[in-house]
Amino acid sequence: MLNCRGMLLPGVAGLGALCAVGWALNKGRLEPADFTFVNGTEVKSLDPAIVTGQPENRMINALFEGLVRWHPETLEPIPGVAERWEISADRLTYTFYLRSNARWSDGSPVTAEDFRYSLRRFLDPRTGAEYAYQAWSLRNAKKYSSGGRALRPGDAVEVELNLPEDAVNTRRGEVIRGKLLRIEDGSGNGVPLPSIGTQSADAAADAWTYVVVADGGEHRYRCTDDSTAADRAPPPGVRWCRQVLIDFEQVGVRVIDDHTLVLSLENPTPYFLNLLGFYSLFPVQRACIEKYGSPQWTDVERIVCNGPFRPRFRRLRDRTRVVKNPMYWNASAARLRSVDFLATESSVTGLNLYLTGEVDWIYDVPPAALRELLKQRPPRDDLNPQPILSTYFYLLNVTRKPLDDGRVRRALSLAMDRRELTQGLLGAGERAAYSLTPPGLPGYTSAECPPEDAAEARRLLAEAGFPDGRGFPVLEILYNTHETHAAIAQLVRKQWQRTLGIRVKTRNEEFATQLNSQRALNYDISRRAWIGDYADPNTYLDMFVTGGENNCTGFSSARYDQLIRDAAREPDAERRMAMLHQAEQILMAEMPLIPMYFYVSKSMLKPYVRGFYNNILDHHPLHAIWIDREQATPNPFLRGRR
Amino acid sequence: MIAFTLRRLWWLAVTLWAVFTITFVLMRSVPGGPFDRERVVPPEIKRNLERRYNLDRSPWEQYWLELGRLIQGDLGHCMNLGDYSVNYVIAQGLPVSAALGILALAFAVTLGLTTGVISAAMRGSALDVLLRLVATAGIALPSFVVASLAILLLVFYVPVFPAAGWGSLSQLALPAFCLGAPYAAEIARISRTSMLEALSHDYIRTARAKGVGRAGVLLVHGLRNALLPVASFLGPAVAGILTGSLVVEQIFAIPGLGVYFVKAALQRDWTLSMGVVLVYTVVLYVMNFLVDLSYGYLDPRVEYDA
Repeated sequence: MLNCRGMLLPGVAGLGALCAVGWALNKGRLEPADFTFVNGTEVKSLDPAIVTGQPENRMINALFEGLVRWHPETLEPIPGVAERWEISADRLTYTFYLRSNARWSDGSPVTAEDFRYSLRRFLDPRTGAEYAYQAWSLRNAKKYSSGGRALRPGDAVEVELNLPEDAVNTRRGEVIRGKLLRIEDGSGNGVPLPSIGTQSADAAADAWTYVVVADGGEHRYRCTDDSTAADRAPPPGVRWCRQVLIDFEQVGVRVIDDHTLVLSLENPTPYFLNLLGFYSLFPVQRACIEKYGSPQWTDVERIVCNGPFRPRFRRLRDRTRVVKNPMYWNASAARLRSVDFLATESSVTGLNLYLTGEVDWIYDVPPAALRELLKQRPPRDDLNPQPILSTYFYLLNVTRKPLDDGRVRRALSLAMDRRELTQGLLGAGERAAYSLTPPGLPGYTSAECPPEDAAEARRLLAEAGFPDGRGFPVLEILYNTHETHAAIAQLVRKQWQRTLGIRVKTRNEEFATQLNSQRALNYDISRRAWIGDYADPNTYLDMFVTGGENNCTGFSSARYDQLIRDAAREPDAERRMAMLHQAEQILMAEMPLIPMYFYVSKSMLKPYVRGFYNNILDHHPLHAIWIDREQATPNPFLRGRR
Repeated sequence: MIAFTLRRLWWLAVTLWAVFTITFVLMRSVPGGPFDRERVVPPEIKRNLERRYNLDRSPWEQYWLELGRLIQGDLGHCMNLGDYSVNYVIAQGLPVSAALGILALAFAVTLGLTTGVISAAMRGSALDVLLRLVATAGIALPSFVVASLAILLLVFYVPVFPAAGWGSLSQLALPAFCLGAPYAAEIARISRTSMLEALSHDYIRTARAKGVGRAGVLLVHGLRNALLPVASFLGPAVAGILTGSLVVEQIFAIPGLGVYFVKAALQRDWTLSMGVVLVYTVVLYVMNFLVDLSYGYLDPRVEYDA
C-alpha cells in the first residue's frame, strides 16, 4: 500500500508526460512548404469583405483576385480578372472586360455577376464590412452602406424582408423595390428632414417606419431582426423587414453580360483602379457563401476562391498552408507550389526563425536587432529598409489651452529635433518628416512645415505669452503602450524641456483606451500613425476635414474643407494635386499635428527568393515570387541599398 | 467523500457564476469596445456588428442572454477571430497548452523533488549551497530571461533545438524547460524546507534507531511527510502551467491558450476573454480539489466530511 501511494504522483506525471509527447508527435512533422514566411497575428477571417490588417491582406491576396492586381514592383494596376478596361472621357465610367478563362477553384467561371454580388454584399450594412468606405467612390455606394438613416423621401429603395430564424445567415430575404414616400417616427409623426440623412446612431431611429410605394400600393415597414419578426406581430398596419436601403440599382454597378461590368463613380477618382486591387473588393462566390453561411463558408474544406492559391489547412495560431490553385487562369505563372503563413506574433521569435533558416521572409525586425544587423560589414545581402507610405506623428488637441494658439503649436514643431529622433533613437534609415504625406506619392509634392529652429521656436513661444516657457502649463504626451513609443515620447519631452523650457509629462494607455481618449479629445498631445491604403495624398489629407471621424484634434478650417471637396470633384489630375498641395500647406501652417518621421520597410529576405521588390506599400504578392538557389545576380530586393 | 465532492461541485457552480458576473461587469466598464478601430467604422455598420453580438441591447439583457448561453455550454463567437467560436479556439489551444504543461510539470516535479531531497539530505554541504543558489536564481529569473538564455545557448551557439514552433518533440523541449524551470526551483525550495522539518521529528530518529537504511529513512519516512506542502503548492501551479503561459508561448510561437488571457482583453474580445477566464477558473478549481483529495492519501489523519 505504502509503495503504491509512493508511486502515485510520479506515476501519474510520467503517464501524463508520455501521453503529451505521444500526442505532440502524433501531429507529425510537416513536409516543408516551398516558401515559408512569418505573417504576424492569426488572420481574423478568410472572408475578404470583413477583414482588415496586413496579415489578412497577404492572405486574401494569395487566395483571391480582383478585377485588377497591383504590379509587384511598381504597384501599378495590372489586369487581374479583368483582361482590359475602358475609361470614359469624364473619368466617371469604367467598363471592364473579364477574361473568359477566369475560374473559381470549383471550376465554375468568374463572371460579372460575381462582382456585382460581391460588391453588394460588401456594401450591405448587415455584412459588417469595416472597410466599406473603400468602395464609396462608386455612385451611391456610401448611401447604400449607410442604411436607412441615409434615405430621403423620394428615393428609390429596396426593402429586404425577414427570413425564418433558422435560415442560412448569408441568404438575403425577399427584396421589394419601390419609392420611399416618407419616414415616420415611433408615434406616427413624419420625421423632419434634418434628422434623416444625418448618420446619427441614435436608438430612436430603430422605431422609424418607412412608408414605401411598391406595386401600386402604399406599404409601411419597420426594421427588426429575424427572431423578433418570428416571435412578435408587428404593430397594426406595419410589416416587419430586415432593412430598408437605397435601391442597389442606383449604385454604380451594372452587369452588361457575363464578361462585361460597368462601374460608375460619384466623382472622378484618379486612384480608382488602384482601389480595385485592394483586397476588400475581391470577389467571393455566392453559391458557396449561401450554401454554408458565414463564417462557416471560410472553412478550408468549403471555401471557393479564385486566386493563385487555395488553402490546404489552417492550424489556429500556428500556420496556414496554401497550395497552388490549378484552376487559376494564370496558374502556369505562379511558381510556388505551396506556401506556409506562420502566425508568429513576436518579431523576436520571427527573427530567430529566420536566422535559423526556418523561414524565408520576415517583414519585421525588432529595432535593437535591426540596428546591429545594419552595422554589419560587409552589409548583409538580405536586408534593405526602404521608405513606405506610413507617417508617425503627434496629434495636438487644438481645443485645449495653450495648444489652441497656432504659435505654440508651431513652436513645438520647430523645437523637435527629428534628426536626433531618426538617427539616434530609431536608426533603421527612417526619414525625418516635415509633412503628413510621405514622399513617393506619384504626381504629388508634399507641402512641408519649416525645419528645426530653436531660436524661432523660443521667439514664437514668447510671442504667445510664455517667454522662456514661463507660465506654460504642463503638457502631456499620450501614447499607446509600446517600447518604441515610450522612448520617442521621452526623447521629445527632453527636447521640448531643453529648447523651450516647458514641462512635459508622458502617459501611456493600451491601444483601445488610447483610441477612446483620442476620439473624446481627452488628451493634450497624442501619438498617431497613418498607413496609406493606396498611393494618393487624399488617403492622408481627408483625415483632417472638419468633423472627420479620424480628425480627433478639433481642427477645423473652412478653406481646407473646401479644397479637399473641390479636389475630389476635379477631373484634371494636375490641378487636383495642386489643390491637395494647397490643403496640406494649410495643415502644415496650422499644425493640428506634428509630423515626426516616415516608416521604413523592415523585411529580411533570403537571397534565393526572387520576384520580391521593395515598394512603398510594402506589398509583396506571392504569385510573383519564386525560389532560385543558383542565381548569382544581385537580388532586385537589394536595389537602392544604402 | 461523495458528499464532499457534491459540495465542491455546488461551490464550483457558485464560483463560476461569481467569476462570470465580475468579468462581465469589469469588461464593460473598461473604456473601448470590441469594434472600436483606429479608423472609425461607419455607424450603420458598427451597429450591425454590435447587433450580431447582442451588444445593442441593454447590459442587463446581455447579461441574461450570455448567462443562458453559458449554461448550455456555448461560449459564443469570437469578436476578433471572426471565423471561429470561442469553444473551437479553446478546444484548439487547451490541449496544446496542457501537453506542454504536463511535460513542463513532469520535469519540474522530478528535478525539483530530487534536488530538494538531495539538498536536505546533504544539508550545509557545498552541493546544498550550490543547489539552493540555482533554485533561488530559478525563482528570481523571469521566464523570458530563462528563455532568451536557453535560445542563445541551445539554438544559436550550440544548435541542438529549433528556435520555435510546434509539432515535434525537439520543438517541445526548450519551451517545456523554460516553463518548468521556475516551478522546479520553487518545488526544490519547498521540498527542502519541508524535508528538513520532517527529518527533525522523533519518529525519524526511531526509524534510524531500529535500523532503517539511509535511503529508506529519506524516501519513505521523510519524503512522504514532506510532500504535503509540495502538493498544496502544486494545485494552483498546475492550473497555471496547464492553461499556458503568455511569455513562453509568445517566445516559442506555441499555439496554446496562454496568449489569449492578455490579448483577448487588449482587443476587447469580450466573448473570448470570458471563455478563457472561465476555463482557467474551472481548471484552478479542479486542481485545488485534487490537492484536497491528495491530502487524504498523503496524510491519513485528514477527514473530508469534518
